[in-house]
Amino acid sequence: MMGTILPVLASLLLFPGGLTVFLTGMAYEWMNRKLLARFQTRVGPRWFQPLADVIKLLAKEEVVPEDVHPGLFTALPVVALAGCLTAALYVPLWGVGPLYNFPGDLIVTLFLLSLLTLCLGIAGANTFDRFSLVGATRAFTQLFSYEAPFLLALLGPAFVAGSWQIDEIMASGAARWVILTQPIGFIVAVIGLIGKLELPPFDAPEAETEIVAGSLTEYSGRGLALFHMGKIIELVLGITLIAALYLGGLYSPLDFLIKTIALLIVIVILEALFARLRIDQSVGLWWRYGTLLVLLQWLGTIFWKGVAI
Amino acid sequence: MEKTEHKKGFTIPIGPQHPALKEPGHFRITVDGEIVTDVDVRLGYAHRGIEKAAEARSWVQNLYLFERVCGICSHIHAMAYCLGVERLAGVEAPPRAQAIRVLVAELERIHSHLLWLGVAAHEAGFDTLFMYSWRDRETIMDVLERFSGNRVNYSANILGGVKYDLDDEFVQFMCEGLDYLETRSEYYLEVVTTDAMFLQRTQNIGVMTRSQAELLGTVGPTARASNVHRDIRYEAPYSAYKQFPISIVLDQRGDLEARFVVRIKELFESYRLIRRILEELPEGDLAARMPRKIAEGETVSRVEAPRGELFYFIKSNGSDTPERVRVRTPTICNMMSVVKLAIGHQLADVPMILAGIDPCFSCNDRMFRVHLDQSVYANVGPLKG
Repeated sequence: MMGTILPVLASLLLFPGGLTVFLTGMAYEWMNRKLLARFQTRVGPRWFQPLADVIKLLAKEEVVPEDVHPGLFTALPVVALAGCLTAALYVPLWGVGPLYNFPGDLIVTLFLLSLLTLCLGIAGANTFDRFSLVGATRAFTQLFSYEAPFLLALLGPAFVAGSWQIDEIMASGAARWVILTQPIGFIVAVIGLIGKLELPPFDAPEAETEIVAGSLTEYSGRGLALFHMGKIIELVLGITLIAALYLGGLYSPLDFLIKTIALLIVIVILEALFARLRIDQSVGLWWRYGTLLVLLQWLGTIFWKGVAI
Repeated sequence: MEKTEHKKGFTIPIGPQHPALKEPGHFRITVDGEIVTDVDVRLGYAHRGIEKAAEARSWVQNLYLFERVCGICSHIHAMAYCLGVERLAGVEAPPRAQAIRVLVAELERIHSHLLWLGVAAHEAGFDTLFMYSWRDRETIMDVLERFSGNRVNYSANILGGVKYDLDDEFVQFMCEGLDYLETRSEYYLEVVTTDAMFLQRTQNIGVMTRSQAELLGTVGPTARASNVHRDIRYEAPYSAYKQFPISIVLDQRGDLEARFVVRIKELFESYRLIRRILEELPEGDLAARMPRKIAEGETVSRVEAPRGELFYFIKSNGSDTPERVRVRTPTICNMMSVVKLAIGHQLADVPMILAGIDPCFSCNDRMFRVHLDQSVYANVGPLKG
């Protein structure tokens, strides 16, 4: 009995789940911040800064504002982080293959990743802070705009592979990278990930020059730390997922590092390059261009598949 | 005030403490969804009683007091004060001193405009441009430090002239800096006029027509971006601007992009003027002798600060302290345009529109009473009372 439980616990808590996910998230956050800083001719944070931030926030007192539902206020960050950690189980993190899989795990993973944005929005709407309320509105607006094209873009490779299971899609794309056959889908997926993570230029939901910190304005201490952890884990998971589906799969730790870091660099360059979009502009961008392009891609794929058969 | 309390809609307070504002000011923005329906502005959080303090200090001491009205355009305040006091005393600064004053004023304009470019880019979430322009601004800060020993309060003026002279080594250093900045400014002009994502945030945002700009009493680059010919250096040349005239930079469009373009083009004008001054720098003394007591009388001194017209009223009763000094900074003239222009725009555009006038809150806080004549504003549309 103990013999079967211990490896399971170790894989959930140490590797590749749990602790490894946290540390990978921090490492990627540091790379993101450092690269962005260097692109902007700044010095950037030291290597342990993300860890120091989280420890500091966890140690701080959490102020629960008046007029909020206290249960929701405390539960939402936990749910958001739990969603991200659960999603990590189905993603081939570090190239060792997903810990668990079942037919349809791609859909489940994508929805688990959306849980964070959902929790962010509800957290903002839960407080009476006006910045939070505007932030929540924007977070939801953004959710409804990027989610459809992002989902369609990630389902493209699944469609070609004829499976909803991540490792099967990876296997089918290993020989010929999906990025070569579905370049538009890849671009939409990367930009969708930036929107999902609320990174610049899609950071209108937390635009500090307008609405301070958006939904998270009232969060301090533990809640903020958990949301933050959720976000950096989602960064890693998102990159891993795109690399696995579009860049020929992840089969070894070296494979993982090369492909995800390359993707991260692309994302940081996009972050550094653009001014923030207004929320109406990002909605317009997603529905007018993103969705249409990805649908075109689908049409092409369907056509091609029909011809091939 | 009563009326705004009962207004419907969702009010978002920006300030007095807010990440978008580096200085205290309070804006109550009423929004309907994301659309701004009403803006109220409240200033006065940084009132320091400088005008009153001036009455208890001697003419010379006041020079250092007024240099500290603004943390960015310190030189131009001291210059406006000096020009006024010199006029009252009937003393004229030597030509070399006047040329050096103008040279420092233009260096200060470059530093202020580059600073503004960064702040405005940051408000648009374009932090890369922010960091780049502030990095390049360090060049001009180094030049000013080499000139005077200080980065911000250079203290170049004294009553009757200037303190510091230009030497060859410094001129060489400055010219190298200007050459570098000129190429950088060309690049920034290209960025703000061609970057599609950035143009989405500036083109046709906060459009102010020429008649609106005139009615709202805007000054400086804000007015010039709406094609209003308003530049004291051009309209009423003071000090060395008579010998070294500038050409006024105008733009027809009146939107945020025009405000970027006007300010960056003014940089080129400043580079040109500084080089011209260096070529034809008059020889002679640095300062004329000033009396300790200033003859009775009153005068108005107007200069063009980086943000627009700076106005000093100085009254002397014949003693060694001024009886009254009144300062009006350009931000207060431009503030009403923000209130007017923001209505109908998206909430996300408000920080940009506010940054578009290059506000400097701490300088504009003065105590005075205004009797509002509503009929004046009839042509611009209703303003809240």
